[in-house]
Amino acid sequence: MIEFKDVTKSFKGFEAVKDVTCEINDREIFGLLGPNGAGKTTLIMTMATVYRPTKGEVVVDGHSASLEPNRVKSLIGISFQDPKYDRILSAREILEWHGKVTGVEKSVRERRIDEILAKFGLTAEAKKRTWTLSGGTKKKIENAKVFVQRPRIAVFDEPTAYLDVPSRLMVWDMIEELRDDGSTVVLATNMMDEADRMSDRVGIMNRGEMVQVGEPARLRRSLSGRDIIEMKLDTVIPELTGEVSKVEEVKEARFEGDTLKIVLSNGRGLLPYLINVVSAKGGRVQSVNLKEPSLEDVFLYYTGMKLS
Amino acid sequence: MSEKPSTFFVIWVLVERDLRTLVKSPFILINRTIFFLIQLFVFAFLVSKLASALGFNYFDFYSVGAVVSTITSIAFIIGEDLFEEEELGLLDYLLSLPFGHSLFVIGRALGGAVRGLIYVTPMMILVAYVDGYFSPAGIAGSLAIIFVLATGISGLSITLAMLIRNANRFDIIIALAELATVRVSAAIYPLAYMPRVLQPVATYSPVTSASDLVRAIFLPGYTAGAYETIVLLLFVGIFFGLGSAFLFRNIEGGRFE
Repeated sequence: MIEFKDVTKSFKGFEAVKDVTCEINDREIFGLLGPNGAGKTTLIMTMATVYRPTKGEVVVDGHSASLEPNRVKSLIGISFQDPKYDRILSAREILEWHGKVTGVEKSVRERRIDEILAKFGLTAEAKKRTWTLSGGTKKKIENAKVFVQRPRIAVFDEPTAYLDVPSRLMVWDMIEELRDDGSTVVLATNMMDEADRMSDRVGIMNRGEMVQVGEPARLRRSLSGRDIIEMKLDTVIPELTGEVSKVEEVKEARFEGDTLKIVLSNGRGLLPYLINVVSAKGGRVQSVNLKEPSLEDVFLYYTGMKLS
Repeated sequence: MSEKPSTFFVIWVLVERDLRTLVKSPFILINRTIFFLIQLFVFAFLVSKLASALGFNYFDFYSVGAVVSTITSIAFIIGEDLFEEEELGLLDYLLSLPFGHSLFVIGRALGGAVRGLIYVTPMMILVAYVDGYFSPAGIAGSLAIIFVLATGISGLSITLAMLIRNANRFDIIIALAELATVRVSAAIYPLAYMPRVLQPVATYSPVTSASDLVRAIFLPGYTAGAYETIVLLLFVGIFFGLGSAFLFRNIEGGRFE
């Protein structure tokens, strides 16, 4: 189990992480959500003992990250947001060295490297210097470090950034496989679909604070009754947001492109009335979508911010 | 799951990383090798002819000094590596790996020295050959001497990198330090021919001591012993210790956060 106990991390007076308290259970995929700059990476680096908490404590499997950093580091493997390795070296050399330094036995290491390179379709490029490879390939190699290591606690920071769809699906499968084999996975992401699909539980961070923790389904249910109507119009009519907001059950109305997004509290029956309001203002409705709150809506609700 | 690697294994793996990157930089190796060969067989050969009137074999003298100067230059690179690793975020990765900060520090300092040693070993063998010295034990001894020097220079470079926080300022300081360390020494010219004001400084230079110790092994008529060994060991002790302490303090103090 990973326990964050009132953790604060400041850089020159700026609090990147503020009073975070939460627990990550064994053998779960914990999605750490938040926009860029929310404090996800800082929290991860504090857990990994690279940063020292300014206040509070991180305890990993009963070991304090501050008092027993080497013990904690031996449990953790990190795939960084930006690939971090010697770019003059080849993929095979990077994985070989990472496996060696993290104590993976030689025969196991070689087998895993061969398997993972083949899985990622990198066998032919395995001996090329990595600085010559594409951004997606570099990211695959960064992820591959953790798959070779197979640590007790695997941390992935934006693991599918720069990756194409088939590669994303493969990385997701491999992360789930890690969890199924006994690893605890911390998945920092700002992609809602990724978090929703992968996470057993999520923690939502905003401006350094952990604003909500829970299972994605439970968090969505916490917004039950908050239906969302998406009306695609033939043209944007800015004053419509104000007009629609006059309805008592409307909690929020905004345009996203040419779509008017209306958040309601318990008001599905209002749909015909709202269509009339729009029509009365000259709006021509092309399509209507009534949907349940998504994880992104949960995020919006708790943070008031839209994710990138 | 992984097993905890031993202390020596971790140091070796850190050193191995430096060696892997060295091997992958053939142009730097070729460039420096060509420079060394030109200095030895063109510059030293010509100056030796001029100096022969004084009854002094400059070629033999310079050949040893050229190897000592080269390893000094290479050992200084470790400080630049630290700046580059900080800039690329590689230090975050290295510091997240399962070993203590003290092992990381020792591994980096030794890595810089081993890298230099491997690089200059063929040069040292070539110099032994052209100087007419063929004892494997003596060559091994001379390599040990320059390895000790390289460890101290790595420590000095790390010390400067930790004291100077600006990469551009570090580049200037390290170039001056390298220049002073090599030029204000008896590596490439005898003490007796140096300006008087520099002679006392050069006498205490570890580069002078290392050069004299190797010359005493390779070349007849040269002597060196306890004094040079003490100067060299003191230099290594002080700067390996200082470099390690400063790097450790910077890591623990959060400079790289």
